[in-house]
Amino acid sequence: MRGEEVVAALKDSISDDVLIVSSNGNVSRQVFTFLPQPQIYLRGSMGLPMSIGLGLALAQPKKQVIIFTGDGNFLMGLSSLATIGNNLPSNLRLIILDNGSYATTGGQETVTSSLDYLKLLEGMGIKHFGSLNAIESPTKLSEAFEILLTGDQTAVLHIVVGDDVENLENIPWKPIEIKEKFLNKFG
Amino acid sequence: MIDSAELISYLHGHGFTLASGVPCSYFKELFIELEKSDKINYVSATREDEAVGISCGYYLGGKQSFVIMQNSGLATIGDALTSLAQLYQIPLLLFVSYRGLEPDTDFPEHSIMGDVTEEILNAYNVPYEILYEQDWQDTINRAIEEMITNNEVVCILVEKGVLSE
Repeated sequence: MRGEEVVAALKDSISDDVLIVSSNGNVSRQVFTFLPQPQIYLRGSMGLPMSIGLGLALAQPKKQVIIFTGDGNFLMGLSSLATIGNNLPSNLRLIILDNGSYATTGGQETVTSSLDYLKLLEGMGIKHFGSLNAIESPTKLSEAFEILLTGDQTAVLHIVVGDDVENLENIPWKPIEIKEKFLNKFG
Repeated sequence: MIDSAELISYLHGHGFTLASGVPCSYFKELFIELEKSDKINYVSATREDEAVGISCGYYLGGKQSFVIMQNSGLATIGDALTSLAQLYQIPLLLFVSYRGLEPDTDFPEHSIMGDVTEEILNAYNVPYEILYEQDWQDTINRAIEEMITNNEVVCILVEKGVLSE
């Protein structure tokens, strides 16, 4: 499965009041295209989706917050995983779509191939985590989503996806529109 | 010296309920009071740009926070400012220690940043004020008003001895 197929597959598993932070580049375009709108679609600030998701989860403790990030973005903001592990907001979920590459910029390799994500997550103080290869075991995806979303603790799911990415159209909303539409959710 | 507990109460009275940042000794008392505070939740960040991210996420959740850092962090937050906070017009208050103002042979690491701190803020188009003990509430009021009215990032520079010995 490709990253966009994984994002699209999540559509039936999430409720409309879930809040999503999506990392700049392809990931935010996939979330914009396949999941309920509006959400936070980052245009820049590479490396910051985890910190933004943490802040959002602390501001809205009664709503579930899901962060979608690619592996390049995740690695740039790696120390934010330690901060999440230190705070562990019960409503926060992190999905790492790992295609091993900076796909938006032409598929240059990231350093992800030498990482052990399960050891990394455990070492950062994350209590609930899993890893799934969606290329080899796509049928296990819905079960993994259910475990991720139904718990009552911070949880992280690392998903290996294909690197044969097709770049989607850019998000047509201006950043200020994204902010205003998102803030309207809270009245 | 400004009483840090009073500053926290004052900011809480203006709607701030969270702070994030990276410490500086110029804010030692403020961190002691934040630790005790039940009004403002302090989230320790690993980097200054992460603190900006946490604050922006908190704002997008409908709530207001502020960021604390040393002026060395101004170099780190460039992308978080320009492609997140300013791009999305997120109101954000930064408390930045103004280090490197005087020649200090013990701390040469601050001197170059001290020389360019205000130039950097000008280059980022971040309005700033320097905080003094006298009339500190007025300074903070002006900063908050500017932040809210223009949906922008505003910086308060804090020199040695203003918030901590």
